[in-house]
Amino acid sequence: MVFTTELLIDIDKALLAVMIFVIMFGMGSSLTINDFKAIAKSPRGVLIGFLSQFGLMPLIAFGLSTVLNLDPAFAIALILIGCLPGGTTSNMFTYFSRGSVALSISMTTASTILALFMMPLLLKLYTAGFAESLQAMNKTSEFVIPTKDIISSLVLVLVPVVLGMILRKKSPDWAKTAEDTAGFVGMIVILYLIFTAFFRHGKYFLETPITVYIAAIGLGLAGFLFGYYLSKALGMFPLHQRAISLETGIQNGPVAFAVILLSFKEPFIQNQMIWLAILYSTFIVISSSFITLYFRKKGRFDWDIYKNTVIHNRLFGDNYVTQYPCSFLPKPLQKDPSQGANKSQKR
Amino acid sequence: MAYRIQAENLAALFQKSAEKYNDLPAFATRESALQWTPITYKELYAQGLEVATGLIAMGVQARDHIGHFGDNRLEWILADCAVQLSGAADVPRGRDVTDAELEYIIEHAEIKFAFVETEELQNRLLDLKSKLPLLQQIVLLDPKANAKEGVKTLLEVKEMGAKLRKQNDRRVEERMAGIKPDDLFTLIYTSGTTGKPKGVMLTHANMVSQVKNLPGKHNMNDRILSVLPIWHVFERVVEMYTIGFGGCTFYSSIQNLGDDMRNIEPTFMASAPRLWEKLHERIIQNIKSSHPVRQILFHIAYFLSRHYTASVYYINNKNLKTQPEHWLKKVFLLPFHILRFVLIIPWYGFFNAAVLERIRLGAGGSLGATISGGGALPIHIDRFFNNVGIPVLEGYGMTESSPVISVRAFENLVVGTVGPALPETEIQIVDIETGDVLFPNIKKAHNGRGVRGEIWVKGPQVMKGYFKDAELTNKTIVDGWLRTGDLGMMTHNDCLKILGRSKSTIVLLSGENVEPEPIEMSLQQSEYIEHCMVVGQDKKFIGVIIVPSVLKFRQEGFKVKTVAELVDNNDVQKIIRAEIKRLNSSQNGFRHFEQVKDFRMLNESFEVGNELTNLFKIKRHIVEKKYNDVINDLFKTA
Repeated sequence: MVFTTELLIDIDKALLAVMIFVIMFGMGSSLTINDFKAIAKSPRGVLIGFLSQFGLMPLIAFGLSTVLNLDPAFAIALILIGCLPGGTTSNMFTYFSRGSVALSISMTTASTILALFMMPLLLKLYTAGFAESLQAMNKTSEFVIPTKDIISSLVLVLVPVVLGMILRKKSPDWAKTAEDTAGFVGMIVILYLIFTAFFRHGKYFLETPITVYIAAIGLGLAGFLFGYYLSKALGMFPLHQRAISLETGIQNGPVAFAVILLSFKEPFIQNQMIWLAILYSTFIVISSSFITLYFRKKGRFDWDIYKNTVIHNRLFGDNYVTQYPCSFLPKPLQKDPSQGANKSQKR
Repeated sequence: MAYRIQAENLAALFQKSAEKYNDLPAFATRESALQWTPITYKELYAQGLEVATGLIAMGVQARDHIGHFGDNRLEWILADCAVQLSGAADVPRGRDVTDAELEYIIEHAEIKFAFVETEELQNRLLDLKSKLPLLQQIVLLDPKANAKEGVKTLLEVKEMGAKLRKQNDRRVEERMAGIKPDDLFTLIYTSGTTGKPKGVMLTHANMVSQVKNLPGKHNMNDRILSVLPIWHVFERVVEMYTIGFGGCTFYSSIQNLGDDMRNIEPTFMASAPRLWEKLHERIIQNIKSSHPVRQILFHIAYFLSRHYTASVYYINNKNLKTQPEHWLKKVFLLPFHILRFVLIIPWYGFFNAAVLERIRLGAGGSLGATISGGGALPIHIDRFFNNVGIPVLEGYGMTESSPVISVRAFENLVVGTVGPALPETEIQIVDIETGDVLFPNIKKAHNGRGVRGEIWVKGPQVMKGYFKDAELTNKTIVDGWLRTGDLGMMTHNDCLKILGRSKSTIVLLSGENVEPEPIEMSLQQSEYIEHCMVVGQDKKFIGVIIVPSVLKFRQEGFKVKTVAELVDNNDVQKIIRAEIKRLNSSQNGFRHFEQVKDFRMLNESFEVGNELTNLFKIKRHIVEKKYNDVINDLFKTA
């Protein structure tokens, strides 16, 4: 598909820049140094998260691009999205899906830092073929993946995060407000982009090949699915499975916009890539809402047990072990460390 | 996974809970905010057996009445357990019992053995002992208190029993086998809103039916906060219900409620309207003092939630239906509500997650549902909590029905009603004057739904009678129907709606009947009014006596310390008058004779034990007597 007009006018770009700044600032506002230290406490979970975020997701994106035979620019965008770190959105969804928020935060923090190295590396690896065919189509100019630009845009995106963390340290109250506002602003801007896109470029929705839709929706869904079962296969408990699943599927959308706008200057390529990023950001909110509702229902029982044991420890002392009658717990949970096998029930 | 023990009596309930739930904590006592001591189901039962054996050795007979004076604490439930196991019944009353009540109850219930919680109660009872020849033995519950001569401590009784059980004393088991469903488990003296205490006889069958029939899907993961007085049957039924499903009850108190809610994160609790009012007040205060951005976010969130819930209720047929709804109206309204639902849900979803969840966290964040009982819940409070996502299930009942008659179930949450009748329970609405059955009555339109009358109840929870008062029993229970004395109607979605108390009905000179409760509840929405009571029996119009809120006026800049200083202040008068006009007008649905014409302010606040019952209901006759002059003055000027 070809974009005959510029997809984003200057106002949109400015808005997008503001949104990226506010959201990343909000993300920083929710972080403290302790969140970095916490990574060391659950290295297993973070490692599995790392595997599914930087191992599975790019692979899924690559697979989808190949199988669906996407245009090279779409394919590069999809792979780029696949290589992104997690964002704060996944923490909120994890909270409501009764998953381990602590693990979600640890994974977000770890992946945000690791993305600096992993993203350029993975992009080089997976997009090499697509970049070549892009260059073949676009003979006038030479196209290479702008690794340097990608790294510098990632660094740039981290600046508001650091600023947010400083605010959190100075004034937790303001930081909380910044966090709330960020979610709200993010939602408004995404909606604005969709609506203006709809009215200004309504035809593009119809022109977009069905395969692109499948890719934009499928990437998130496949991430949820594989993240859930990979972590299950590696012996994680339901609480962590839900966190890893959501963290895998939900990527940090704003970073995608920042990288595309700052690194892929060629309008023809940029338009296609932005378009895919918009589609992904829209559909991921909807699909993760449904997944969250499903997880929330499914996870009710093990979450209640987790909560109850944690609160017993909080009130009755760290050494207290809650002993349920054995018939009460389903088999998978009986092996759970919260069930008396360990002295400390904390998961 | 929800499981509930089915037992034929309470002794069996304790026994089966020990077998089934074993090492799970049954009750927990507060040492400090983050330090609690649990007792397991197994331990509770084992200790109960020992105390019961001790009681039997002391001479407690099956079906004896045993005094039980004290408030919520572990020793209370242990003593209760022992009383049940020994086949006796207890006669409970709170720490705030007066000497006169103690004397009356002990004599009337023929109490030979009595538990007292505190040293203070022990001393008071010892002073009264000369007047009570029947009273043989006092047992002191508080392990930290000093027992006087002749008084045994619970620990001593337990040790005595433990020794006997080691020598193979199995009299308790015999007693347990001898309990019949019709035996009393408790005899509760009510100091209701009228008259002298009456002894309500409640049987094992009564309580067992409640444990069985209360709606709710709780399991061993549930944490229950206990704040209401345990000697009141409402709190007691919730504790027995909790034993039935294996949850853990945490003994909190009103003072520590905020902290405990956050630390314990309760999933369920019994509560009274006053508690919700307090919580509501606090939440509103917090919002008002929060960051302006957050305030705006809250208002947006609440606005969305209000419209969202209203549509959800309508679509699920859970809106309050006091009148039948014409199908044509439904045809028009349903698409509107569905459209509104679809349009709002994404926004609601976001704000619910980002803003309202914070408010829910203030109440622990895990509250699945809470039953409110012991008085009518003001409708704006009711709506507020249901809108922010803390489902408050209002119930209806009285001590005489041990106590739950109906309660809103989670699946049947119609705000403004007290829900459908419990299983096995029948409700009739009866014309007060003629005694005709209005509901259910197939001759009437809609089977008599939407018609107001007195509520009569028949079911397994109805009491055996009033102790030693056959006359009153026969007046209250006729042909198995308990006459509640409350006015109500059955709504068109088969939920009960309470419309006031038939006995508090004010009849004006003109012959018009006025229900004071709705008017009072409406006035109480004003932050300036702490308490109020509508008066006007046999007068030309109704008036209201008001206790102004010192706190609110102080916030508004009035430099006052006591209620008395507000009474003669002209500005205060003006504000109160304006508030009455605002809340008690025809716009709020009050007819002309239901509108307050004049008011007086009182120079003292209402207090629990004096003007208010433990559940914060106004004792009308007490207030009328105490402020007779004020009331007369109110009507004299007219």
